[in-house]
Formats: sequence, structure tokens, C-alpha cells
Amino acid sequence: MYGRRACQLVKELSDRDAGQLTAFNRDLFDQVIKECSAHHLELQSLMRIIQEGGLDIQTTRNADHFGAAIHHLALIRNKRCLMAYVYNRTGTIQSLRWKVGPVLPQEIQEKLNYSEEEYFKNYSAALESYMSELELDLTVDMVPPKDPYIQVRVLDDIGDVLLSDQSPNLARHSMHFLKRTDAEQFISQGLMEELTG
Amino acid sequence: MSSYYDIDDIMMEDEFVSVVFQVAANGVGLLDPGAETNCVEQGSKVELPFWLSHELQLRQAVSVNIPACFNQKTRKEIQADAACVDLRNRCPYFYELGCKIAPLVGDRTIGSFLLYAFTGRYKEVLSKAHSAAIAVAPKFLTLFTKEETHLYEAARSSMAAFKKWRLGGPRFERASILGRKRKPND
Repeated sequence: MYGRRACQLVKELSDRDAGQLTAFNRDLFDQVIKECSAHHLELQSLMRIIQEGGLDIQTTRNADHFGAAIHHLALIRNKRCLMAYVYNRTGTIQSLRWKVGPVLPQEIQEKLNYSEEEYFKNYSAALESYMSELELDLTVDMVPPKDPYIQVRVLDDIGDVLLSDQSPNLARHSMHFLKRTDAEQFISQGLMEELTG
Repeated sequence: MSSYYDIDDIMMEDEFVSVVFQVAANGVGLLDPGAETNCVEQGSKVELPFWLSHELQLRQAVSVNIPACFNQKTRKEIQADAACVDLRNRCPYFYELGCKIAPLVGDRTIGSFLLYAFTGRYKEVLSKAHSAAIAVAPKFLTLFTKEETHLYEAARSSMAAFKKWRLGGPRFERASILGRKRKPND
């Protein structure tokens, strides 16, 4: 059936958990594009038949016209599916910049295709230049903290890092008292957890 | 009006409806499995996805039949006990398809039937969302259409957010986008 593969592509988006990213399905994506080219060829050959019959292409309503219309509709449908696939992925990629930061972990990076990586880099650069103009980091927590410091536990070996007010050795399972703004990015990357109570 | 990029709208339009061709069409033999040549004859009855049937109906090339999920049998079952009918199995986009198909087939009873089915099931969806145990995927979820599943999830997440607000908890969490999976070396 026409549009079947394109719909599988979109179904992939609807089956994943909300906000998660799956690997870019290059294989299926290319198959849909090939299908579009096939529709295009059919469409052209049907239009040629109408023209060779000496009929006016604007007003003819014969079997060839409806065949051509079906191929045209299938082409448009495939286009919509491809566009929706790319568009909905870019939404997720934008939110990655806000939630994870300018550097993506390896396992996420692998799921993007080349142009999506470029898109992420450019989006990130645009956001950074805007933030440096404002001299304000917009990606930090929106709720004002009760205490500028929080207690955290390190979940992974991070090593020595230079933070704004100290340079602790962040070994795994160690606990620290850090500035919230410093800890935030480590927590969202899953390298630390906040201790409460 | 749903957007051009809306995933659910695209998926909904892939539901099949049965149509009768009022004209012949060349070069599209794939649509009719019974066709001997590469064309569809006038008067042949085929199953087409909604996106195609809808456009062809506008061009007066096909006439659309009412899909099976809106037939008398389903209506009787909904009247008997709306909440127990397995609508997902009949059509996962029951309400959306119903809204779009009603003007095409000119059946004025579909609208009130949809409303009746929805109000009958809505109460059930909400009370189950608040009372069902967390973590286990409940059995009744398989009866819900896509729309009802969204409602159910919304009710669950607002309940979870309320509990979190009341009890308090860490402000910062690992970004959900990274997935729940822990790293293998943990």
C-alpha cells in the first residue's frame, strides 16, 4: 500500500517514550525517498499519456487523470511523513541542549545523523551567543534556591575539576558540599545525585 | 485543527476505510489486490487509508463507506457497557477518525454516538488512573484508544506531580532524555 513505509517511520516516533530519542532510521528514510521518486516517475508518465492523447491537462477527468492524482497524493503524503519525522526529532534535539548541555554523551551522539549533529552545534552556538550577550545563563534552574549550596553524592569517577569556588576531587561515591550552579550540570548528566533530608 | 507535523494526526490518517471507486484509475493497480491489470476499475470496492480516501472523495472519485467500528454492533456494545468495549482493537483512533469521517459519509448520528461513548468511558479512565497501583501495566490499558491513553497518562503524571509537591524531593534529577537505563559499569 502507498505510504506504508512512511507511516512506519512516523510510528517509530509515536512508539518511543515521550522525549526519548531513537537512532535515526537512515535505511527506512531512504526507502521512502525512493518511493517518492517512483511516484514521481509514474506521475510524469501518466501526464505524458494525457498530453499525447491531445487532451487538456487542466480539465481532463479520465482514468489517467485519477491515476496521476493518486500518485500525486501519495507523494504529498510521503513528504508529510518525512517532514514530520525530521521536525519532531529536531524538537527533541533542541531540548537536549537545555537539559544536558553543550556536550552530548556518546550514546546520544550515536543516534543523530550528520545534519542533526550540525543542527545541534548551530543551535547550541546561537543559544550561547544570546546568553553571553545577556550575560546570563538561561539553562539553570528557574526556581530560586533556598540555599546556594547543596549536598551531593558522586555516582561516577569524574576526577579533579575546577569549580567556581573550590577544586574538589570528585571520586565515585564521595560526598561533597557544592554550589548549586556547579552541581546542576553534573546532576542532569547523571554523574551525581542530590542528597536531601 | 491539528498541525502538519502532528504525529497522532498522521497515524490516524493511516487507518483503513472501505471505499467504492466511482471512476476508473490507471497505473495504480497496487490499490486493488483483485485487479488483473495495473488499473482500478469503476465500481471496485477497495480498502484505502483515510488520507487517500478523503482526498479522492473531495474529487468525487470514490464514495466512502462507514467503517466497521461505527456499525450497529459496536453501538449496541457501547450502550450496554461503554467502559468494557475494546475500542483499541477496533480502531486506536476511534474518536479522531469518527470526527473526520462523519462529514464524509453524511451520517449525523456518529457525532452523538462518539460523545456518548466518550462520556461513558471518561469517568472510568479517570478513576482508574487515580486508583490503579503504580509500576504494573494494568490490563485495562489495552482497551483504551490513543486519546484515552493520553488522558490516562496525563492524570497519572499530575497525580505524581501533586505527590512530589506535597512530600518534597530533590529539585534536580538526571535529565529524563538520557533514558532510565543505568550505565553497564554500575
